[in-house]
Amino acid sequence: MSVTSKEAVWPIVTSSGHLRVELDRPARYKVGDRVLTKNVNYPAHTRLPRFARGKIGTVHLVHGGFPFPETMAQSGDPKPEYVYSVRFEARELWGAEGSPKDAVYVDMWDSYIEPAPETGR
Amino acid sequence: MSSHDHEHEHSLVPSEPALRIKALESLLVEKGVLDPAAVDEIIDVFEHRVGPRNGALVVAKAWTDPEFRKRLLADGTAAVRELGFLGMQGEEVVAVENTQNVHNVVVCTLCSCYPWPLLGLPPAWYKSLAYRSRVVIEPRKVLEDFGLKVSDDKEVRVWDSNSEVRYIVLPERPAGSETLSEAELAELVTRESMIGTGVAKAPA
Amino acid sequence: MNGVHDVGGMQCFGAVLPEENEPVFHAEWEKRVFGTMCLAMIDGHFNVDELRHAIEHIAPAEYCAVPYYGKWLRGMEDRLIAHGVITREELERKWAEVQGKGAAA
Repeated sequence: MSVTSKEAVWPIVTSSGHLRVELDRPARYKVGDRVLTKNVNYPAHTRLPRFARGKIGTVHLVHGGFPFPETMAQSGDPKPEYVYSVRFEARELWGAEGSPKDAVYVDMWDSYIEPAPETGR
Repeated sequence: MSSHDHEHEHSLVPSEPALRIKALESLLVEKGVLDPAAVDEIIDVFEHRVGPRNGALVVAKAWTDPEFRKRLLADGTAAVRELGFLGMQGEEVVAVENTQNVHNVVVCTLCSCYPWPLLGLPPAWYKSLAYRSRVVIEPRKVLEDFGLKVSDDKEVRVWDSNSEVRYIVLPERPAGSETLSEAELAELVTRESMIGTGVAKAPA
Repeated sequence: MNGVHDVGGMQCFGAVLPEENEPVFHAEWEKRVFGTMCLAMIDGHFNVDELRHAIEHIAPAEYCAVPYYGKWLRGMEDRLIAHGVITREELERKWAEVQGKGAAA
């Protein structure tokens, strides 16, 4: 394992690396798809915040493939998945206290979402 | 699983954080796995060389160059790299545009993710529990804490940067700035206007 | 994990208090934590996800009370020990040393 020197710092912190990875499969969702977030409660690391679990939203952007935080935290295994920006209406997240006009966008790994049921909400 | 579980039982732990990091740093140096000159250098980079001035140059260019604005909104990562702003905590960038009808604001509810190459290190309020908790549920009230009143007919969009994608707000170009140069425009772009807790300054 | 770090939507933390002309760092020790952390990750001692998880394991009362870079410091110590870069015994010996308690065996 190398020890970073003073001279190496600037090139490293301004390096051109990407975190996004190309996946050999198409994204499961496209912009405009309605998705339901999973109600996960495992004790492992997750980047799915509680306020956005079990909620219905709309795919706003497909960010591309990224390492999966759960496996990265546990073993360093990237197991990359598609990540999407999903729009949630404030009313969906906060009920009647939510503004009827506003929205929160949360990034969702593919494992965090499933297709929203056809009916309801 | 975590050694933290036992930490509070250790009366040895220095109560002063300054002593605690001194201990760790000197241990790492002794072991030959850390060069203190590299620590000095990285501090200097983020204290003096990388900061919100970078983001302001991106915004000013987007205000004056319609083709760049299009590229920035279509592929933020590629557009900011055109200007040389890339690196740690800014590998993938999405720019969101404020308009007459939409006001955007960025947060990291789970920790403190922030686009370092564009804005430098985040201010204390951005990392505070108050901001992280409240801005998703009552964004308009939080913006009022910053003296910003968003009109009722505007939509507020809150962006939680919970993945490795980093968000930057492209603020509205202020009225009366039509004759200003790109460099003069960059002076109007505040850090808060690129997080969304503020708007660009009006020209003097 | 349902931890105290996951604060989105909570309403108990009061007003947001921006600071006028805030410096990048508020104390020298914050700078050292920041620089050491960046290098530990650049040198590949641990990844950002496991660091976040380590910080999430800080006891709730402590998580809320400890300053930002204090959380980084705890997370970093935890990960460096977990990966065998340092041992807890070595760190405790250093703690004693910097507090002027002499180098305990």
